[in-house]
Amino acid sequence: MNPWIAIGALAVVGVGIPLGMMAASAILRPSVPEQGKSAIYESGEIPTGTARIQFNIQYYMVALLFVVFDIETVLIFPWTVIYRSALEQGVSLGAVLAPMLVFIGILVVGLVWAWRNGAVKWVKSPRASRRKTERQS
Amino acid sequence: MVPLQAQGQGQAQAQPQLLPETLVDLLGLGGFGVLGEIVAALIAAFIVGNIMLTMTAVAGPWAKRKITAAFTDRIAVNRVGPFGLLIIVADAVRLLSKELIVPEGVDRPAWDLAPIVLPFSALLGFAVIPMGNGIQLADPETGLVFAFAVASIASLGVVMGGYASNNKYSLLGGLRAVAQNIAYEIPLIVTAASVVIFTGTLRMSEIVAAQSAPLFSVAGVTIPSWFAFVNPFAFALFLLANLAEIGRNPFDIPEAPTEIVAGYQTEYSSVYFVLFYLGEFLHIFLGGALIATLFLGGPAGPVLPGFVWFVIKIWAVFLFTQWARSAVPRFRIDQLIEIGWKGMLVLSFANLVLTAIIVGVIAA
Repeated sequence: MNPWIAIGALAVVGVGIPLGMMAASAILRPSVPEQGKSAIYESGEIPTGTARIQFNIQYYMVALLFVVFDIETVLIFPWTVIYRSALEQGVSLGAVLAPMLVFIGILVVGLVWAWRNGAVKWVKSPRASRRKTERQS
Repeated sequence: MVPLQAQGQGQAQAQPQLLPETLVDLLGLGGFGVLGEIVAALIAAFIVGNIMLTMTAVAGPWAKRKITAAFTDRIAVNRVGPFGLLIIVADAVRLLSKELIVPEGVDRPAWDLAPIVLPFSALLGFAVIPMGNGIQLADPETGLVFAFAVASIASLGVVMGGYASNNKYSLLGGLRAVAQNIAYEIPLIVTAASVVIFTGTLRMSEIVAAQSAPLFSVAGVTIPSWFAFVNPFAFALFLLANLAEIGRNPFDIPEAPTEIVAGYQTEYSSVYFVLFYLGEFLHIFLGGALIATLFLGGPAGPVLPGFVWFVIKIWAVFLFTQWARSAVPRFRIDQLIEIGWKGMLVLSFANLVLTAIIVGVIAA
């Protein structure tokens, strides 16, 4: 039996359960729209401005690093799968291990470079700190 | 490569029966071909989905309160039903019958889709988890990678909810959740890869089977070769990275109730809030199921049936997350990013390389 039939069935159930709960709630719940209710929650104050602003997300370099390492994990998995059986079939340890060590080594050098350049450090951009002081004055 | 494939197929034929196949036999759907298989798969998926729903229903409104109360020396729910268990029903009715308040300026399709995406991604991961007694929906060759792949769809739901809410706390919570997930996903997956070095397969049932051999015997008690015993360092790393992935203390900054109200779910009420909550608890249990499968021998255990052991193991992981929640203070976000990228990542790669070298030296 094709395993993806069962996985697809669980996907259907996985969407069906939330939709079913939403439907059950739609029957049960009251609807009393009032103006004050629909205000955005901002600790009880009247909300100021919008949340759709330009925002210093700090870690966009980290996100780039993530893409690199995510692809790396994709490439590591096939190697881990064949590693042991390749050794058991008599391939020498160096031939199986060395290429992956070189591959991981290159990426670790990349990580060290990013580390030393402050990519994983939490720093305020000059623009963000300037904005903050402007608002306070 | 040819002998390897032949070997893999030989193992696949010796697999225990999966739940949809059992249902095909039980209900006599064999004569209907693919249609019968789809019907059986839907019934099986419904069963598995409801097993997990029941567990989250017990965990969310009841067990979580009881455990936290026990840690902080309180009593918690004890009025409704025996041990307060009927609070589950009361809470379900209460939450579902609340008015759904749609705040001003929400980005409508995304705001409505986020509560579906979150439980969907967590529930889909259970498709490949062997729960013992033949309760396993599917056993594809890429089982482990599939579970990680669908579990990380949750980040998408979180950032959708956070951004669409038009609330500053939600935006911060959503972005924090993404920063955390991408920082700890690599250590999580690389640590899992170090387990795959031992097993040589990504198929969940074979990962479980690889842990059934005895490791050593102490005073007549045989210790099985669960990877938590074979490689405790990887186990500790995985447990920590998993804590961050599911966003529990000390890594609960996406919600951080004392800082940003409730993070990405601030603007959600009624059934949408229930679905977010459900998705979170499903994620905790999915993390527990992955830990149980990879490191604790899956449903293996003495005396009791496999499914009971599986439930015990994932509840043990749930108890651990609640323990951490009660006992450990929260990190700051900059500390969190630094621990993830400078600590966990380096340690997990060290673990992978060391495991590869040790396994290689022993096998060679």
